[in-house]
Amino acid sequence: MASPAALRPSMGAIMQTCRSAVTAPKVAVAAVPVRALSTSAALLKRHKYPTARVTRDNSKKRGESAVHKSGTRWKLSVSDEPLPEPVPRDELPPIQVDEDHGLWDFFYDRETIAMEPTELAKHGRSWTVSELRKKSWDDLHKLWWVCVKERNRLATAEWERNKSKLGFGGAEASSRDRMVKITMRGIKHVLTERFYAWEDAVKLAEQDPEIDLSNPEKPYEPSTFLEEAEETAEASSSEAQPTTTEIDPTTIPSSKSQAEAPRL
Amino acid sequence: MASIAKTGAEALRNAPFKLGQKQIFLPNHVITFVRPLPKQPPNLATFVVPLEFNKLDLRDYLWNVYNVEVTGVRSFVNQRRHEKRHGDFGNWRRPKSQKMMIAELVKPFVWPKSLGEEAREGFDYKAFKAQEAARARHDHIMGLRSAGALPLPSQEPTQRDRQAIKKRQDKLLSGEETWTPGKVKSFLNSHVVPEEEGWAEVEEDVSLDAAAEAEATKEKKL
Repeated sequence: MASPAALRPSMGAIMQTCRSAVTAPKVAVAAVPVRALSTSAALLKRHKYPTARVTRDNSKKRGESAVHKSGTRWKLSVSDEPLPEPVPRDELPPIQVDEDHGLWDFFYDRETIAMEPTELAKHGRSWTVSELRKKSWDDLHKLWWVCVKERNRLATAEWERNKSKLGFGGAEASSRDRMVKITMRGIKHVLTERFYAWEDAVKLAEQDPEIDLSNPEKPYEPSTFLEEAEETAEASSSEAQPTTTEIDPTTIPSSKSQAEAPRL
Repeated sequence: MASIAKTGAEALRNAPFKLGQKQIFLPNHVITFVRPLPKQPPNLATFVVPLEFNKLDLRDYLWNVYNVEVTGVRSFVNQRRHEKRHGDFGNWRRPKSQKMMIAELVKPFVWPKSLGEEAREGFDYKAFKAQEAARARHDHIMGLRSAGALPLPSQEPTQRDRQAIKKRQDKLLSGEETWTPGKVKSFLNSHVVPEEEGWAEVEEDVSLDAAAEAEATKEKKL
């Protein structure tokens, strides 16, 4: 039989006093109604008249006691299903990494990450500006992104080499990085040159009477005398050989007039 | 910076999130992919990013440049330790902080295991390790010196060659061995006399490098 103190601390105290005075019958103890998980009486409302002030008890945990193991004042939902046991980290199945995972691009080597300095030193020179001048914007843009990814790879390898204390190789990495940076500087150099050339061309075009920059659809309007000459040339050629389907190179109007025209 | 310009046909891919609208064609940023901490789950990838980067930048960068989808990004800034401008002298300054971001990946990524010491020969690990040890020793001595507690030579442990001399001395004094002095042609301008003419080695040959000797014996055993 549970001791009275376990049932309810206040009740236990009463029982002890009872026991000291008179020997309490055991039946009476068993007859005490056991209210699960609650030790204190419901909070009484002090005044019961209709207009009484509502006195809320702000303490939500009144009556709960850790010392007396009273528990909460309401039932908690607890399942008796056995909990799953955690699997140790070592026994977990290995995680399959996608072969095409984009993050592999951060590594030179999928096993060592950082290249050995002898391998790292095997690189060519940077692109020169004169080589880059011949390239289109698309090519330059692609090359820039190749450089960006190479620098990311280098930075990752350097971090790994330093943090894991792999050994020497910093000088080789920095010389490689310098080559990449020189290439990137060359790309910016070429693009700046092209921008200045474009600016100069716009200035020239503003002075040119044949070019109207305010008309984006047809900015180039050739002079009338040139048009007439071309028209007559075309007319004569079409009259001369109206039936031939094959184009005779001699009939093609000369590009002299175009060459004379001011160029953008 | 909101997004980074895409190259090629990859630009047509549909991102599962709203990509930034601002186009940046020639960025200078360097992103470092960092080895995760030992218990970090494989869906988290750590990066060192420029200070001006924000979470959306990294998300868009990984999507556009590396084709890596990310569901979330966490970021934090590491303050650097203050230092003197030129190492030992100069004014006190604090280097620029370091920003790190942890991306939550859709596809998990596991780093390869770190290289063992045997596999680091290509990086000249032996010399590197010796250099590190020497530097640590130097730092230790400098620390003692700055504290004014540099040990006296008598307080330092006895060298191996001195130990050998002491052993030899004890043997001679106890009469276990007898002293046979070597012949010397002249006292001041002395030359080494060949062994046939009666030169006797007084001291034993002792290797000063205990670690190297231990390794040599190990190899012999093998």
